[in-house]
Amino acid sequence: MGTTGKNKSLLSRMTESRNFGLILGLVVLLIIAAIITPSMYSLNSLMNMLQNNAVYGLLAIGEMMVILTAGIDISIGATLSLTGVVCCRLMAENPGVPAVAWVLLALLIGALCGAFNGILVGYFKMVPMIATLGTMYAFRGFSFLFSGGQWWFPHQFTEGYLKFATLRILGVPAILWILLLVFALAILFLGHTSRGRRIYAIGTNRESSQVAGIREERVVFLAMTLCGMLAGLAGMLYTANYATCSYSIGESYEMTAIAICILGGVSINGGKGKVDGVIIGFLMMSVITYFISLLPGLSVWSDAIQGAIIIAAVALNIYMERSAEKRALRERGALI
Amino acid sequence: MSGENNTTKTAPVRDLTVKQGFKLSKFLVSWEMVLVYILLLINIVLMMKKANLYFSPGTIQAIIQSGMDVCPLVLGMIFILMLGDIDVSVASTMIFASMITGLCCQAGMPGIVGVIAGILAGGLCGAFNGFFVAYIGMPAVIVTIATSMLFRGIVKIILDVNVLKVFPSFYTAIAWTNIAGIPLSLIIFLLMGAGFVFILQKTRFGRRLYIIGNNATCAQYSGIDVRKTKLFVFVLMGFMCGIASIFFVGRMGGSVSSTMGTGYEMTAIAICVLGGVSTNGGKGKVYGPIIATLIMAFLTYTLGLLEVDANTRKIVTGFILIIAVLIPNVNRQLMANIKLKVVFKGNKNVEALNNKTAEEVKVLKNTIAETRKDSTLNEADKSAKIKKCEDKIASLQKKCKEQTAVWLEEQKEDERKAKARFNTK
Repeated sequence: MGTTGKNKSLLSRMTESRNFGLILGLVVLLIIAAIITPSMYSLNSLMNMLQNNAVYGLLAIGEMMVILTAGIDISIGATLSLTGVVCCRLMAENPGVPAVAWVLLALLIGALCGAFNGILVGYFKMVPMIATLGTMYAFRGFSFLFSGGQWWFPHQFTEGYLKFATLRILGVPAILWILLLVFALAILFLGHTSRGRRIYAIGTNRESSQVAGIREERVVFLAMTLCGMLAGLAGMLYTANYATCSYSIGESYEMTAIAICILGGVSINGGKGKVDGVIIGFLMMSVITYFISLLPGLSVWSDAIQGAIIIAAVALNIYMERSAEKRALRERGALI
Repeated sequence: MSGENNTTKTAPVRDLTVKQGFKLSKFLVSWEMVLVYILLLINIVLMMKKANLYFSPGTIQAIIQSGMDVCPLVLGMIFILMLGDIDVSVASTMIFASMITGLCCQAGMPGIVGVIAGILAGGLCGAFNGFFVAYIGMPAVIVTIATSMLFRGIVKIILDVNVLKVFPSFYTAIAWTNIAGIPLSLIIFLLMGAGFVFILQKTRFGRRLYIIGNNATCAQYSGIDVRKTKLFVFVLMGFMCGIASIFFVGRMGGSVSSTMGTGYEMTAIAICVLGGVSTNGGKGKVYGPIIATLIMAFLTYTLGLLEVDANTRKIVTGFILIIAVLIPNVNRQLMANIKLKVVFKGNKNVEALNNKTAEEVKVLKNTIAETRKDSTLNEADKSAKIKKCEDKIASLQKKCKEQTAVWLEEQKEDERKAKARFNTK
């Protein structure tokens, strides 16, 4: 389709773009929000909105890599909780250690959790859903064991630790800078490195990519490890952002991350989806959750609204995919 | 009439009965029997640790009753997994159905109307899932994740923080009564299980599930309406969720709130997987999950009695799930692959030679044994023949060793050369 699109008008090219529907939805949401809750539009509140949702962005990027390999990882909420608890406990016990160490520790623990998933799914060929279901239980349990049921409160957090999320650089919180960095790295990795392209290849067609010499196990292992790593980073940043921590944080965050990916046009069957779509999905989800939280008495509706939005988004996505296929066939003259 | 008679006479008589004899050795190592052993093991551990509690009346019944509220979900989930799909909205559907029953009873309707309304509501939720999975073609994981949020969200909207407390009186009776020392819930569970065994093994519908699970395209081309079957299975799951709400509310002492029953879907899936139902579809039986339900009940209770806290139990559940799925993967093929990699350094020629030699040696050894037993030959002939065979074995093994060494050396040389070539480039 890319080759035949040269002599088309700008409008038709825009409507054919995969992100058009997403951007349209985002604009509509913003307009509705502007009419009902105009207080949302101040720089400060928008910054707050993004800052509090940044964790979802990190999780969604990781989840996207796994979904691209036609897998799914539902243990990331538990991984987030485990890293958050481990970092908080060690930080509270050793306040003298520079805060960078905790970031590295979070990345390491997350990577280990992800690697365990990766071994189960990649090398032992377990069904991703079941494997990560098991590890979800296990990680959440370990998280409780390590925390001992304890809570951590703001006065126990060191200054340097909190700065990783809340320090404002050019008026933007550090957690958003980190998120932007992750987005940029993900675009580079998935779009411009051979390892990143292999993730797409595995998701698109397992057999032919294996025949082409790609080692499936390694690619799946890599994707799940990266996903775990990002979940670990998200766990550390979550605790730094809210300055509280317990073993129950991040409950059902994996569902939100999956929802963002689906909204962003990542196909659950693997091989389809781009980082820019996920970014727009992330923005949409942030606007929706913030919008709902601003309306009085609507907080009980949030679950139902989220569920309905996911179903609508996936149904729309499938419809768009089918019509794109039909259009491609028609352009080739295969369909009368 | 005569024509009919003719056709029946000339038609070849096909014997379609499967002639597979009952083999005790095979039966004893089947997955279901392994589950029974695990169940017995847990019982023995419990007996050793808490002997006086174990033999006191009512303990066993209490253990079984504690695990029964998830059983209808397990039965429904078997069919869903059989199709290769998954349903994680069952807990939310169950709560939704309980809420409908509770609301009906609160409004003063007779109990039976409320129960039927609840079960129908469950079926409706299942139909909603099934429609999106079967007719829109959305992946079951995503649909049910979304609907689990949706259904629970609706319950939250309607109930907010209230608790429904008006339920028919037989709810608690089902959960807590014993008939002649056997829990009523277990009896109902076994009866339902028998029904499911019958559906899966003896009806056309049940056999279709196996075909669809193994190959949906193939099933479509052989004239099975895959969409309709899928929709039907999801609706059935919804009805089972409605029935599960009876057990669940009964066990909770006749009350329901919007936050109850989280995590039940995971338990149900875990029990099915432990019971040997493949999540890829098309594999599994009903007996396995029935035994696995009991295992889960005994396991949680035993761990609780051994003063293991709830979160460690979670770890144990998680690892049991992983191990249960991993065990069928450890088969002969995997062992052969590991042997090829570790012993023969990934060289297939060496593997083939070694296997061939091993076979030849085996044959020769057999001949030696036969010669020893043979009474027609005299001693001298015997020893000569044995000697000959032994020499042959030795020479074969020597040859094999030499050849292996040569090939491995060649392989090493090739690798070294390839490395050198790669480096110069």
